[in-house]
Amino acid sequence: MAKRLKVANPARCIGCYSCMMACARTWYDTISLKNSRINIQTRGGIETPYAAIVCHACVDPPCMRACPVGALTKRKGGGVNFNKEICKGCGNCIEACIVGAIHLDAENKAVICKHCGVCTKFCPHDVLEMIEVEDSGELKVTDTSPVEDTGPESPTASHKELYGKKEAEGEE
Amino acid sequence: MTTEQYAIPGLKNVLYIDLTSQSYHIEERPDLYEKYLGGIGIATNLMLEEYKEGTGPLDPEMPIIFSTGPLSGVYPTCTKTVALFRSPLNGELGESYAGGHLAMSMRYSGYETIVIKGSSRYPVYVTVHDDKVTFRDASSIWNLSSAIDVGQVLRRVEPGAGRRSIVRIGPAGEKGIAYASVNVDTYRHFGRLGLGTVFGAKKLKAILVAGNREIKSPDHNAYKKMYGKLYETIVKTGLMEKYHNLGTSENILVLNELKGLPTRNLQATSIESVENISGENFAEKYLIRRVSCAGCPIGCVHVAMLKRSFSKAHEYETLNISYDFELIYALGSNLGVTDPEAVLELIDACEKTGVDIISMGVVLAWATEMQQRGKISTEEALGLKLSWGDKAAYLRAIELVVKAPNEFYAALGKGVDYASKKYGGEEFAIQLGGLEIPGYHTGLGNILGLTVGFRHSHLDNAGYSADQKAFNQPISDEKIVDYIIDEEDRRSVLNCMVACLFARNVYTYENMVQALKCIGIEKTEEELKELGKDIFRKKYELKKKFGFRFENFSIPKRFFETISTTGKLEEERVRKAIEMYREKRGV
Repeated sequence: MAKRLKVANPARCIGCYSCMMACARTWYDTISLKNSRINIQTRGGIETPYAAIVCHACVDPPCMRACPVGALTKRKGGGVNFNKEICKGCGNCIEACIVGAIHLDAENKAVICKHCGVCTKFCPHDVLEMIEVEDSGELKVTDTSPVEDTGPESPTASHKELYGKKEAEGEE
Repeated sequence: MTTEQYAIPGLKNVLYIDLTSQSYHIEERPDLYEKYLGGIGIATNLMLEEYKEGTGPLDPEMPIIFSTGPLSGVYPTCTKTVALFRSPLNGELGESYAGGHLAMSMRYSGYETIVIKGSSRYPVYVTVHDDKVTFRDASSIWNLSSAIDVGQVLRRVEPGAGRRSIVRIGPAGEKGIAYASVNVDTYRHFGRLGLGTVFGAKKLKAILVAGNREIKSPDHNAYKKMYGKLYETIVKTGLMEKYHNLGTSENILVLNELKGLPTRNLQATSIESVENISGENFAEKYLIRRVSCAGCPIGCVHVAMLKRSFSKAHEYETLNISYDFELIYALGSNLGVTDPEAVLELIDACEKTGVDIISMGVVLAWATEMQQRGKISTEEALGLKLSWGDKAAYLRAIELVVKAPNEFYAALGKGVDYASKKYGGEEFAIQLGGLEIPGYHTGLGNILGLTVGFRHSHLDNAGYSADQKAFNQPISDEKIVDYIIDEEDRRSVLNCMVACLFARNVYTYENMVQALKCIGIEKTEEELKELGKDIFRKKYELKKKFGFRFENFSIPKRFFETISTTGKLEEERVRKAIEMYREKRGV
């Protein structure tokens, strides 16, 4: 079953950057924001909501078509697989991606999301989710029942297991 | 292991910026980092090196030192930067912490510590883009009425969005208000003790730090595991739930109930209609979102929306204002303001002008009582009549303090200690060590903590927390003294990291040792504890140089008149506890 990353609840982002650090930590073995494949951005300071810039897992990815050496191939579930070895660092993919989800690393290789989902494990506010899609990348229709209530009392309320209820003892 | 051996860049550099000559250089100080790790440890030592006897807080040679720690930008909730300076408010140790994006930006820029000296002839702002430092003319943003707008201009003209931090002053810093703050990004501040004033004296309008370098751990797998462990502890246990949920303003109702919430210039410790300014009410009626400092999954910054109508045709303006416990105390209970919207408006006014809100609140509370007692005439206040709960008068007063149109308002801009020495009313000027008090009147631990604390802040040793323990189960005064000493040393170590103190129970000594080990720094628990004691000695050495003497310390009568959480305090008891502390500490 194919899956892809989705920015499910952008307005819930608190700007903690845990997802970006998780991505760089997992795929670049570094402690940085630089080589994260997803990008949390501010738009005029944090008076206004954050923007999460994430690969949209295109069904027909323009970055792939723009790559002159064939380093990008279609991924099952949308988006691309990236062959780092043959990437020449021309940056055509960056131009082609109007979402702004691609950049180059220090070795001039494209940094591009592979929809592994590690970032979702480090999102404390349900901003990022992995969703099931068709192998082609097309969205799947799975739910036909009324939309679930996500209010604080509902069984599907946000981060139920997070932020435990027990108070730290004797601390202000 | 020495700092040379692990692959973490920046852990040996100190960036020196000279505003007079508009130049900079980098010095390598592995000796310092090896022993003191970062943060307050590094800053204290550098200040001792830099300080020349007799240099005043606002003299050009007086440095500002910013420092982050080995865990900054590396582990969750290690999000703070310490600023060390000499305070223009009380002439003493100026030490302040801010979150936001600054620690991460500094760390990823490769400069863990920045020392700023000299002063410019005209307004400047300094940018640090990775390793490049530039000085730019800030004349066009000097005199802007709001520190918030300064951020907006710099965001437009400078690159590095999302990876940068912008710290700047507002009108209060430019005009030399002794308790001017520095706004960090949005909603975060170097609030206390007047760092903004020092910026203003140096004609330094803003600093922008943008960093996008990588850090490597020598043992990435160990690091990954440790990160995961800390992250889980933070988000999946109850250790930090309070900060995530209602935030610190949860304490309004608690302290009010316990008779520990300073009210109307500490004439009382609880206030009627407190439920209106409770954390619960702010959350239910005004809270619209929470945000985080970069690298913290908690999101403790509580942002309220204030919707104001400005015409009969259903037209509205909305303001997004962050609030927390201290602000609600300072501009709420202590001014007799129990209208939550009024509190938000007052916060917003201070945020724009760039003053420390606790100090401003206490100054206005004192001025109100002075007027009511007929010790300040209406003429001296230029016709303005201050009275408890009167938002409109207080909004104008904030403006007048910053503009300082006459001697009286100028005195208010120098702090409550100065103003009360000039006009009288020292017995109800609620300050300790020249610093206006935070929102606790809980008893001995609090007063003792504020008196002996490095910078007379509740964050030095959480004396109020000792009182809380004493309230639950009576403990001896000696135990309270011991608690304060232990807490001071622990916090000194945390402030080397520089972890957010809200996460102090996550970063236990054991976890700190492990977290450091996973990035290649070997320290034992004993070594860390010794580090805390070493920093204590160094800071007291510095305090002494800046003129602090226990012999000159006086405690205003008001603290002994108003009932506290643990009952009425006797002066003699406090004196004895101070003596006990001095004896144990050897100071």
